Amino acid sequence: MNLIYEGKAKRVFKDPNSKDRVIIEFSDSATAGDGAKKDTFPGKGAIACDISEILFSYLEGKGIDTHYVKRLKGPQLLCKKVSIFPVEVVCRNIAAGSFCKRYGIERGTVFEKPLVEFFLKDDSLHDPLITMGAITRIKLVTRDIIQFLIRVTLSVNYYLSELLKQQNLTLVDFKLEFGKTEDETIVLADELSPDSMRIWDSKSVSLDKDVFREEKGDLVSTYKMLLDTLRAASPEDVDIAKEVVQVIVEPKSGIKNPPGEVTKKALVRLGFAEVDDVRVGKVFNIVLKKPITTEILNHLNIMNVKLLSNPISEKHKVRLE
Amino acid sequence: MAIAVLRYPGTNNEEDVLRALSVIEGADPFLVPSRKGLAGLEKADGIFIPGGFSYGDYLRAGAVASVETITEGVRDLAENGLPVIGICNGFQILAEMGLLPGALLPNESAHFICKWVYLKVNGKTTLFTEGLEDAVIRLPIAHAEGNYYCSAEDLETINDENRIPFRYCNEAGEISDLSNPNGSIQNIAGVLSQKGNVLGLMPHPERASRQILGSTDGLHIIENFVRATKC
Repeated sequence: MNLIYEGKAKRVFKDPNSKDRVIIEFSDSATAGDGAKKDTFPGKGAIACDISEILFSYLEGKGIDTHYVKRLKGPQLLCKKVSIFPVEVVCRNIAAGSFCKRYGIERGTVFEKPLVEFFLKDDSLHDPLITMGAITRIKLVTRDIIQFLIRVTLSVNYYLSELLKQQNLTLVDFKLEFGKTEDETIVLADELSPDSMRIWDSKSVSLDKDVFREEKGDLVSTYKMLLDTLRAASPEDVDIAKEVVQVIVEPKSGIKNPPGEVTKKALVRLGFAEVDDVRVGKVFNIVLKKPITTEILNHLNIMNVKLLSNPISEKHKVRLE
Repeated sequence: MAIAVLRYPGTNNEEDVLRALSVIEGADPFLVPSRKGLAGLEKADGIFIPGGFSYGDYLRAGAVASVETITEGVRDLAENGLPVIGICNGFQILAEMGLLPGALLPNESAHFICKWVYLKVNGKTTLFTEGLEDAVIRLPIAHAEGNYYCSAEDLETINDENRIPFRYCNEAGEISDLSNPNGSIQNIAGVLSQKGNVLGLMPHPERASRQILGSTDGLHIIENFVRATKC
């Protein structure tokens, strides 16, 4: 098979049967501390592959677009071929790892709301934290895509957290990668394994790569324990989370807006002399019974053109924030 | 001829329209509630969409009605050449569904306007204005969103193709800003489809169809529409 890419714990091959598919093979090696610590654990690749298979299928079942197609023999997954975005998305529910070092926060501090962070995928720069402003300025991805990635990441966080909660486990944090398929669908890619997430049991004992990073036990048996726990979980018992998106419809510039003019006059009459102009539009809060996908974004555009806005006199935008 | 008078939830001019049609020889009007869908249009030789507040004018006036199943049937029949007239909210529905160009925006004053207006009829004979060429007629308006707007391109096209049969004017037939009740671009009160078989009109001809109502000018337009259904 033709090797396309070799990472720290995975190799990606061309699929001999299809040009829009790839084969991802999980290896037995593990690295930590930006590659400073390295070792091999026989059997680890197969377990990480099993866990990825379970979690990708689970998320697909809940409506999230992923690159997963099917499991192959051995530690291999057949996946859609994607061009990966050059940012890693990290979601944190509880402070741990680099977050604690960066801000001097105590490990285990629970956040009120999950935090989504971005890191630049660049080994030579040691994958630095990157702000949304910097991502758009250096044109890594557009602002709209960033908002989309945040929403999907938060959905993934909900579904993974709920599944683990069934087994009295806590999802502390995780890293995701996303990519775009040939047909411009944005999908969750890479892997979903204890290599890329922190999971604690009820006593804050790690069931992930921290076992290796911090030398707290046997990596393979820990991963195996997590795999068995996930196999015992009931994905069908996890409720679908409603998603809210906002559609904003405004009068096009140059189009007279009598309601805005009347409102402006009334504001000035009330003494707010600083008001120069008011334009009145509409906001639709649309509640979806599915996670947000590329298809749903396309649907929202069609909804706008067909009904929510009049393209002759109004402009529309979808807000995911 | 069988004339389907549509009633969407919130339409409230259907009785006036049925009465106006009832005095016209050869007209056989029947009421079609929109829930009947495509079946309601089966026998129709012409379609009349009366005014009112379909779906409470929610979203935009005419927007919700414009995506109903029966409205899709109106589109198909109109494209086949069947005469269709939309008055007030009916005009808003025809514009929202894209069967007529442009959009009806909120009145420039932001007020609901209910009054008699004068209209100057275009000199070019159309299906709906035969016998009224170049006349000044008097009809009432009653709307909050009658401010006709369209793109510069569409404006050029409908002017070039003589598709503006009615413009707001004064008693003397002068078309100016002073005689523009709602801010409509170029004082446009009504427009025709490219084939000329679909008319959208903000003023109410059915409310000017008997002497006791103060004018019979509107009856001519409705008579022309009925005659067109026979051809």
